[in-house]
Amino acid sequence: MKAVGARLPRYDGIGHVTGRTMYVDDVKAPGLLQAKALRSPHHHASIVRLDTSKAEKLRGVRAVITHKDVPRNVVGLLEPQGVPADEPQLASDVVRYRGQPVAAVAAEDVETAMEALNLIDVEYEERPALFDIRLAFEPDAPQPHEWGTVYPHFGSHNHRRVRKGDIAWAFERADVIVSGVYRPQAIEHVPMETQASLAVPEPDGRLTIYSCTQAMYFSLSIVATHLQLPMNRIKLIGGTVGGGFGGKVDSASETIASLLALKSQRPVKWRWTREEEFLVSSTRAAWHIELSDAVTSDGWILGRRMTTLHDSGAYARMSPYGLTKHAFHHTGAYTIPNLKFDGFVVFTNRVPTTAMRGFGVTSVSMATETHMTRTAEILGLDPWEIRLKNANRIGDTTGNLVVMQDPSTVPVTLAAADRVGLELASEYREMTSDRRTADLLPDHLVAQQAPEGAHVLSRESTVDGGGR
Amino acid sequence: MELTVNGAPRATASSPVTPLLTVLREEFNITGAKPGCEQGGCGACTVLVDGEPRRSCLLAIGMIGDAEITTVEGLGTPQELAPIQATFNDRYAAQCGYCTSGMLMAGQALLNRSESPVTRDQVLEALSGHVCRCTGYVKIVDAVIAASVGEFDNAETDERLTPQDNEPEVQIRGSAA
Amino acid sequence: MAKHRGRGFATIEYPTGMNQNGDPSQAWIKLKPDGRVDVFAGTVDIGQGSKTVHTQIVADTLGVPYDWVTMDNSNTDSSAVCTGTFASRGTFIGGNAVRFAAQRVRERVLAVASEEMEIAPADLEIVDGDIVPKGAPGRRISLSEIAEAATYKYGELISGQGTALKPLAEVSDDDGSVTKEPHSAISYAACVADVIVDDETGDVEVTRLISVYDVGRAINPLLVEGQIEGGAMMGIGLGLLEESYPHYPSAEHRGEEFGAYLAPGIEKLPELDNVILENPSADGPFGAKAIGEMANNAQPPAITAAIHDAVGVWVTEMPASPERVLRAIRAQAQPRRDGKHVIFDEELSLRSVTANGGAGFLDTP
Repeated sequence: MKAVGARLPRYDGIGHVTGRTMYVDDVKAPGLLQAKALRSPHHHASIVRLDTSKAEKLRGVRAVITHKDVPRNVVGLLEPQGVPADEPQLASDVVRYRGQPVAAVAAEDVETAMEALNLIDVEYEERPALFDIRLAFEPDAPQPHEWGTVYPHFGSHNHRRVRKGDIAWAFERADVIVSGVYRPQAIEHVPMETQASLAVPEPDGRLTIYSCTQAMYFSLSIVATHLQLPMNRIKLIGGTVGGGFGGKVDSASETIASLLALKSQRPVKWRWTREEEFLVSSTRAAWHIELSDAVTSDGWILGRRMTTLHDSGAYARMSPYGLTKHAFHHTGAYTIPNLKFDGFVVFTNRVPTTAMRGFGVTSVSMATETHMTRTAEILGLDPWEIRLKNANRIGDTTGNLVVMQDPSTVPVTLAAADRVGLELASEYREMTSDRRTADLLPDHLVAQQAPEGAHVLSRESTVDGGGR
Repeated sequence: MELTVNGAPRATASSPVTPLLTVLREEFNITGAKPGCEQGGCGACTVLVDGEPRRSCLLAIGMIGDAEITTVEGLGTPQELAPIQATFNDRYAAQCGYCTSGMLMAGQALLNRSESPVTRDQVLEALSGHVCRCTGYVKIVDAVIAASVGEFDNAETDERLTPQDNEPEVQIRGSAA
Repeated sequence: MAKHRGRGFATIEYPTGMNQNGDPSQAWIKLKPDGRVDVFAGTVDIGQGSKTVHTQIVADTLGVPYDWVTMDNSNTDSSAVCTGTFASRGTFIGGNAVRFAAQRVRERVLAVASEEMEIAPADLEIVDGDIVPKGAPGRRISLSEIAEAATYKYGELISGQGTALKPLAEVSDDDGSVTKEPHSAISYAACVADVIVDDETGDVEVTRLISVYDVGRAINPLLVEGQIEGGAMMGIGLGLLEESYPHYPSAEHRGEEFGAYLAPGIEKLPELDNVILENPSADGPFGAKAIGEMANNAQPPAITAAIHDAVGVWVTEMPASPERVLRAIRAQAQPRRDGKHVIFDEELSLRSVTANGGAGFLDTP
């Protein structure tokens, strides 16, 4: 008998339906302390004074930490991928978003921890804040980030670029040019389990962290970097999470729980309230996308110009990665031979944005699919036919010169049409994903079509002669 | 103070204003009910009090008296699942599992007070105000209805397995809500 | 006041694997003396069912019954690296790691069995936990006996490890091109949305969603349906209900409670009609691709197109809240036409809202 293909119940299903599956908040540790964080009330401010001495003296408080307690305070989630470190675990001289943690306490109970927060003396000096990504290049724009308003490290550029073929030719040759602006908003992950970590200092000097992370080794690496410890001094326990959707990769609670545990030498749990989860946890990014498609009157998309602004919030986190993925997929499920794409990671003084289900491509789908339907309507063409005509096929190349091996634009579109009982003209109904030939290979798609067996095309072969 | 939980008397040292959820989880180590929001807004903390679904995060223990409290631990055990637990497991009504105990308690209360079979509308009403972020609710509704008619996928693992020489189907019909 | 029906659709694609690769998943497997299989893999189960899928993959790769396999992903001491549960990589990359490890275990089992049974490994199969000589099925013995022999006679811990890693694809900062594939596979989907729009309240009700997903191979169709259904509701939230900042770009938040922030409740559940296609990937486990992330990407543009079909307006800010729909209905905006240009949404554009006509963004070489 075969297990693959079978409708088997969850491996851990019995635990789920009997309430026995353990999540971080279910873990018991003798002598457990409760943690709370003091968070900035300002969107953007200098920290003029930070004094925790009164809080430290409160009865029942076992540890108070600030930036001084973090061995390597400033870390970047994507340092191994070349994105420089920019985000402090605990703010030192500046806060860049409302809710940013400035200090944290561990106490015998939640009420004492909350009282201790009130005893921490912080003096802020407000700075102007930037909220509108479109205003990043205005002469008087506030500077939300130490790097200014936009991420400057795409090589020597301040934007992610895709250039393919001959965009000027495409827009010159087009019969119609359709332009639109698309603005998908920030949303919350809303996992049913809020952010939670429980750190236990072990008798042998190691640290055990019960973590809600979606990525155990990713989080292990980040905590080890903050604490400046080798990986074997820390043990992460987890693997079963109450929902993530991309919001539990940032490792937002492990380090602070660990520092409090190490300082107090007691187990410390930091479970975010639902209020914190809504107001302060990272969100999906808002985007601003301006799109122009150069099309022929019979529905060929000759070229696409696209400018994307990605609202990164106050720190970089995963934004350069998300924007790069967006750039790689900005043609959607279709083959467009001439491209000019520019994408900017823009900083604002709001909660840092991060990955969420579909990261980078959700915004592409929303913008480019809506635009495709609009374009069909402007041209007076059937929206199914225009998609099938321009669909990815075997041997087509993407914007970044990857050759399509097994695309399914055509099968999924035909299956959807079939499911709603749509009668397509026979030439469309019989389309496949096979290599373009004859009527499906007009002159302007010849240069972008790869030789059989190729996986990646060379730059020269699509630039020379352009996408004509 | 004494509370009756899953048929057994439990003594508590907590003050009368303590929410039942806190007493269950922190003091009694009965952790099936979850702190999804502690605002009464998501249903993950739902337990039965004299058979009625109640949000334990909003219920002060001083208000309970000698009413019978039933948690998911009192519904069934891994060796002897309640019908609704069996259908939830068979029909994949739990993904991350965090909302599951609240859904089970509200679902069981519906089964207890209703003629069989329960209708889809009755299930939607009973579970309204319970938030699930993973499943899209489809299989949760299926599982409650299946439990009400005693439709169990009792097949042992072996019977679910696909035959030796299965070729993948080109199209597999999914489930409609 | 009237309610208008509309239909719209969208076709999308989504990559599997961390963008540009360089994201390993590793696993290791050992056999117990009675042949039962212990798997140590690092992939976190966030509800999507990776523990289940990986167990199925190991069972079939090795040739043992499903309930012979235990899965431990619980900690970083015993589990090897899995970069993480994101980028829709759990089934493809995590699944390949356990599959490679299971293949190595299979080789060791056959090597030990070959010695024990005095038959060449190439002439042996593992079926349902038995070692079966090809052409002489009557001589089968249980894998339990081989594991016992390995432990107590041959002095071997039968084990295997596997790593799935696609090398990093560097990207050109000048033109975005790559010299290697920056993904493991690409999945595709299409969605048709049927809606009813109330032109007096702006309310949009989704009555039906038809979803077609090419997942390469549905390792567990129940789990694939779970992604489709959960994704459908999340897509409705994304397209119609949810926003962190109702007056974006203001940073004033929607609210800190479930009543204020509108995550989709059970009453929003439309009729769902799901079709799963299997267009196998070249090197995913059993041909699998992915579905987890893309599951909420197709609904928003399908709904936007359906709103246009219903009431003739385009809402290009998301969510298409009642306020935005009503504003669009009242405005009845038409695109500006200028020669061959057809220009929508000008009032939202960089040219309109900036002092310098968007120069910093629009004037790149």
